[in-house]
Amino acid sequence: MDETLEIDTGVRRPKKNKRKKQPITWRVIKNQNQLIWMSVPLMLYIILFAYVPVWGWTMAFQNYRPAKSFGEQEWVGLKQFKFLFTDDNFIRVLRNTLAMGVINLILGFVTAIVLALLLNEIKKVFWKRTVQTISYLPHFLSWIIVTGIVATSLSINDGIVNIVLMKLHLIKEPILWLSEGKYFWGIVGASHVWKEVGWNTIIYLAAIASIDPALYEAAEIDGANRYKKMMHVTLPGIKATIVILMIMSIGHVLEAGFEVQYLLGNGLVVDWAETIDIFVLKYGLAQGNYSLATAGGIFKTVVSVTLLLMANGISKRLGEERLL
Amino acid sequence: MGGKSKVTFKYSLVALLTLSFALSGCGGGNDKNAAATDKAKATTAADSASANTGGKVEPFKVSAFIGVAGQQPTPDNKIYKKIKEETGASFDMEFLAGDINQKLGVMIAGQDYPDLMTGSTKLTAAGAYIPLEDLIEEHAPNLKAHYAEYWNMMKDPNDGHIYILPNYGVYNGKVNSSWYSGPAFWIQKAVLKEFNYPKVKTLDQYFDLIEQYKAKYPKIDGSPTIGFEILNYDWKNWGLFNAPQHLIGHPNDGGVVVKDGVAEVFANKDYAKQYYKKLNEMNEKGIIDKETFVQNYDQYMAKLSSGTVLGMFDQHWNFNAAEDSLTTQNKIERTYVGLPLVYDESTKDHYRDLAVLNLNNGFGISINAKDPVKIIKLLDTLMDEKWQKLFSWGVEGEDYIVENGRFMRTQKQRDDAADATWQLANKAKSLFEYLPKTEGSYSDGNSTDAAAQPEEYKAGLKPYDKEVLDAYGFNSYVDFFSDPPPNPVYYPAWSIDLIEGSDAKIASTKLNELQTKFLPKAILAKPAEFDSVWTDYTEQIEKANVKAYEDKINEQIKWRIENWSK
Repeated sequence: MDETLEIDTGVRRPKKNKRKKQPITWRVIKNQNQLIWMSVPLMLYIILFAYVPVWGWTMAFQNYRPAKSFGEQEWVGLKQFKFLFTDDNFIRVLRNTLAMGVINLILGFVTAIVLALLLNEIKKVFWKRTVQTISYLPHFLSWIIVTGIVATSLSINDGIVNIVLMKLHLIKEPILWLSEGKYFWGIVGASHVWKEVGWNTIIYLAAIASIDPALYEAAEIDGANRYKKMMHVTLPGIKATIVILMIMSIGHVLEAGFEVQYLLGNGLVVDWAETIDIFVLKYGLAQGNYSLATAGGIFKTVVSVTLLLMANGISKRLGEERLL
Repeated sequence: MGGKSKVTFKYSLVALLTLSFALSGCGGGNDKNAAATDKAKATTAADSASANTGGKVEPFKVSAFIGVAGQQPTPDNKIYKKIKEETGASFDMEFLAGDINQKLGVMIAGQDYPDLMTGSTKLTAAGAYIPLEDLIEEHAPNLKAHYAEYWNMMKDPNDGHIYILPNYGVYNGKVNSSWYSGPAFWIQKAVLKEFNYPKVKTLDQYFDLIEQYKAKYPKIDGSPTIGFEILNYDWKNWGLFNAPQHLIGHPNDGGVVVKDGVAEVFANKDYAKQYYKKLNEMNEKGIIDKETFVQNYDQYMAKLSSGTVLGMFDQHWNFNAAEDSLTTQNKIERTYVGLPLVYDESTKDHYRDLAVLNLNNGFGISINAKDPVKIIKLLDTLMDEKWQKLFSWGVEGEDYIVENGRFMRTQKQRDDAADATWQLANKAKSLFEYLPKTEGSYSDGNSTDAAAQPEEYKAGLKPYDKEVLDAYGFNSYVDFFSDPPPNPVYYPAWSIDLIEGSDAKIASTKLNELQTKFLPKAILAKPAEFDSVWTDYTEQIEKANVKAYEDKINEQIKWRIENWSK
């Protein structure tokens, strides 16, 4: 948002001096003291909940034992990280996490935007509302219920997926979906889409609603059909929203999930199902090794922040909206 | 409001907000102080309470964490009411919701412990329990007498303190058992009846019966018949892992077989391969459920409850609920008989074992308990036979009757006792499960467990069961199993604490992972590919440092032999 402002002022060059930073003097502080006081609680809040916990990162370099005080903890340097990175499984686990993260990201974006565009074309408010409500309701189900539904629908006995595919003569025999590693990522991606697509659409619909109707009228006068309007008015209109959301989501790519994979995974698909979070649970929390769990957390944070900054940087390079 | 007061109002509002935030940050410290004063108060209260024993009972609250999911008893629960009236204690119970490891992790991280906690090696490792031996010596004569025989076993191998009071495994008097709760190969009663009650000893005979029955009855009540079911879900993985040790005539030692005091992992041995090869063969014939390795516990239970599953390897307590459901549906012929199978008839089965002390289970008192003395005294009181009968049988005249000194139940009382809703109002089931308890029989000779009282067992038998038992000439289903020999001192190896985060524990986790991954693969493979999957599997196990795991078990076996021998 700042960017656009800057460009604005850039055009009116003479005024630029006005924007020069004011030196902070006592007078300024005194004048704005109400603002300063009002920001104090927020500052405290941020310090308390965003910075104090970072102190816990020290755990990753210790052999942390809960009952002991900080001074008594044994320091082990990078041992936990070494365990994490040298384990045979780690590469596989990282691959799974990234793959499912990226799949969820792309599928999530594409489906949400497409659904928003389509919903926008529905002119009957009643139908639009109905479709919207039905599509966002699964968002409120917890993953344990969703995975239950998924497992049931993929069952070979009376699972709806197999029944439909059989009736369509696409397959001859029911497929045991959850026993094949090659299907697993797809199943996870599809479950995510089913659960979240409606919810993700809401923000795009809001963005679409804020597009100036005059643009549509102008396009119509110029002879644009529905499809053209969608491509040349609606999509560019929500571009800013898309880019910002994309940058934010890229920071979460390593949060591919834990529950879906944990609940749907089994011995046969473990090579495709295990994510960093599950790995950390198995060898960290479940073993009472909180240090390893912390090290895993730090690794994820570092990668996430790097990805976020990269995405932001690229976006800036391309002259698009950016987050920071 | 004038301008001035408006400003003052604004300022005070801001100040108030700031203060509240600042305070919320310092909350921890204040709590500690409060706790300390509380503790001081409580101690004085306890002193005065113990000073005037026999006087009026002082009410006090005990918070308890129960490590399994459960339901809160009704507020006017009969038993809890009695406890409150006579001892002053009321319980504030928290049941597990979700994953136990996660819950314990959170509890430990926040040092947030109730007074009484389910036994767990994780909590022991975190220093969450207080040592109990001195407390018991000083204040708890009943508990002391109860555990006298087992005193050394209860000591933590790492520092020699007693932290947890085991809930099961201390026996008094004659032990009547008519219900087998352990592992076995289970088979539907209908299958045995179909083939005129044959004696089934070996794995081959067992699968032979199942195969024949499935061929004869491809559908049961309209659903396809499932020959054999293997549950391998989360920690309930013994259905896949444990069978080989039993098939060579060894009792349940968990992941190892112990011969002459030396433990070895059996997952990759030839006798294990023999079992999985058999399963592979059966899978090829379509006997094994296709979905068996992708199902969760609920799906497994649903299948068993439908009565279409002919057999499985499992522990009885694990699928008990499914049998109850079959009984309610009046499908007695679809309930199961446990068979102690072995590879060949010359091997003696050793499925049934003498009860062992349930180490690392039961209650421990946490370091946050304000008044441990009061709690241990309460536990000691509840150890009294009067209370034990109340917990187990209920109130005389209401929940059971006495005929010639023998405890019995009328059919109505029997039905009530099996009713979960009735239990919530009339039993202290979830608490009693974790309390130290008398098992076997009381001083008057009655069984401590209604199901084990011989008269009760006979009276509760259904005609179908009578027929099966008569055909074999047995009194109860336990008679299918050989009588257990005395347990070795170290037994069972599965209760050995591997120590959180140690190499042994990591190796055992790895082994577990490999088994979960490769065994289903091997079983589902084409018979020609079985051997190559198996080779792959054993190679991976070799890499997984199982030596560390075996070493730890062997070290502890030695320790137990040295310290537990009388």
